[in-house]
Amino acid sequence: MASKPMFRFLLRRFIFLLVTYIVATTVVFILPRAIPGNPLAQMLSSLSQVAQANPEAIRAAERTLMKEFGVDKPVLVQYGEFLLKALRGDLGTSISYYPRKVIDLIVPVIPWTLILLLPATLVAWILGNTLGALAAYRRNTWIDKGVLTSSLVVSQIPYYWLGMIFIFLFGVRLGWLPVQGAYSQGTIPSLSWGFFVDALKHYVMPFASIVISTMGGWAIGMRVMVVYELGSDYALFSEYLGMRDKRIFKYAFRNSLLPQITGLALNLGTVLGGALITEIVFNYPGTGFLLFKALTTLDYPMIQGIFVILIASVYLANFIVDFLYAWIDPRIRLGQEE
Amino acid sequence: MLLKVENAKAYYKLEKVSVKAVDGVSFEIFEDEVVGVVGESGSGKTTLSNLVSMNILKPLTLVEGKILLKINGEFKEISSMSREEVKKKLWGKEVTIVPQSAMNALMPTIRMAKYVEHLAHSHDLAEEKLLAKAEKRFEEVGLDPLWLKRYPFELSGGMKQRAVIAIATILNPKLLIVDEPTSALDVVNQRVFLKVLMQLKRMGIVRSIIFITHDIATVRQIADRMIVMYAGKIVEISSMEEILRKPLHPYTRGLLNSVLTPEPEIRKRGISVIPGAPPNLISPPHGCRFHPRCPHVMDICKEKDPPLEEVEEGRRVACFLYSEERR
Repeated sequence: MASKPMFRFLLRRFIFLLVTYIVATTVVFILPRAIPGNPLAQMLSSLSQVAQANPEAIRAAERTLMKEFGVDKPVLVQYGEFLLKALRGDLGTSISYYPRKVIDLIVPVIPWTLILLLPATLVAWILGNTLGALAAYRRNTWIDKGVLTSSLVVSQIPYYWLGMIFIFLFGVRLGWLPVQGAYSQGTIPSLSWGFFVDALKHYVMPFASIVISTMGGWAIGMRVMVVYELGSDYALFSEYLGMRDKRIFKYAFRNSLLPQITGLALNLGTVLGGALITEIVFNYPGTGFLLFKALTTLDYPMIQGIFVILIASVYLANFIVDFLYAWIDPRIRLGQEE
Repeated sequence: MLLKVENAKAYYKLEKVSVKAVDGVSFEIFEDEVVGVVGESGSGKTTLSNLVSMNILKPLTLVEGKILLKINGEFKEISSMSREEVKKKLWGKEVTIVPQSAMNALMPTIRMAKYVEHLAHSHDLAEEKLLAKAEKRFEEVGLDPLWLKRYPFELSGGMKQRAVIAIATILNPKLLIVDEPTSALDVVNQRVFLKVLMQLKRMGIVRSIIFITHDIATVRQIADRMIVMYAGKIVEISSMEEILRKPLHPYTRGLLNSVLTPEPEIRKRGISVIPGAPPNLISPPHGCRFHPRCPHVMDICKEKDPPLEEVEEGRRVACFLYSEERR
């Protein structure tokens, strides 16, 4: 009964997805090319220093390289090739790490980014929402005031600045924690206890700086939402019926969670892009760090590659949100069936 | 008698000023009656309903006066109860308000049956018993009990209204306060709703009903008595027939003349309006609050506040036209 409309719904979503994907990849294609500079020039200049070659040979090298990266063709052709390849999952060859493939460079750093950002985002979301809801429940008490003021202050701290403060305090001054990397230099990642402890030590500061700086925003949002819901008609009516305060609060919490889940999912979608500046500050080998290096060397294929993966993950997150929403809010679930 | 309000003054205390939304009102609600409270917007009707149900939240403050409610056969001064006590002992069981926007009064994201279960927990009652009662009540208001298993948004406006009433009366509150219940409904659903209200009263599920509205055409179909409010004060209390036959207070007269009613003599007279606007309740006019708009204004009206006095049996008016003190 519900299959035909459901199928139509999914088809519509899919077409919409395809169109936005093309638009987004177009932007990704144009933007790095708009940055002034020629990525090949750098390679060629280093080549000329090493080889002491004559201009003739360098020009020949330039031609081969241009062919290799496809920059000799008209921009429109380059664009078409990029789109087709991107759909097939071929992200091209990196310029700055020539001749390694972009995908081979991105894949190994993804776990590090996920390990850092997934838990950090989730923990910040859970802590922030709990605190915000608590503040709304104990409205106008010292708990509320404490949560609100500290959230306001903390949410305005740039996370990289917090990271630098941490490095200075716990890394340099107190010497408790290592200041850079995801594990000590010289060790090889393995599944041993020693490596785990080492990685954990490296983990604490970037993790904490992200959690602390993002949970304030969640707390403020949640507090406002719950306060609003507690003042709504159903909360009032429940009160008149003698419903217990705790239950009314649960209602308000449940209804406030909806927009927060959207926020979380959109946040999780961007996780694959890494926490750019945090990763730079801590020299953490994630996608953010990779993107930073790609940007500074104008490595077009790499920049494009990272963004293509990022866009895909944002879409995936959006898709998941739709389903989550339907699960929590019957108005959406049942509305679609009709 | 079910409820007695003695000289109640309730102000919205703001930083520098107070809005005198209800300023010295006294009345009573008898058992087994429907009382309509009418007046234009800002006359203090909703504040009065909050007062009667003891829903007094800052900045609203009960400045003076007493409210007595008959609980288990004896009068209790509910105006001295703490909010906690009010919630525990009063709401749901003795008094229930159906708020102005009853359309959104039900928790939107759970099924109504679940809501009833939660109510049972809150009042330490057995889930099945209250659910059975809810099913019966749904039938009594003309809804299929199967709707209980649905979400509120799946109901139409009129059905929602009836579902709200069914759930509001689930614990048999003695006094039901409905605040502008029909203003969001079309005429057909208004009629159905009024019928449901009367039926609940006839069956003894609720004892008395306070019906707050600005819609005289509706309230006259259902109310036994009428309280007319103007600028935070009661200007006239009377039985419905008497007030329709012969409104005494000039404001009541103006109010009745401003609506179309089916009586031939009123139809002949047509509609007229009361010139001017209701006063600012921060600093209401001296003397009678209606005097700046009153067609019969006298000197004394500008100086003294007319007391609410009995002029006939069961009929009270606050106007110097009917007072010994005139002149």
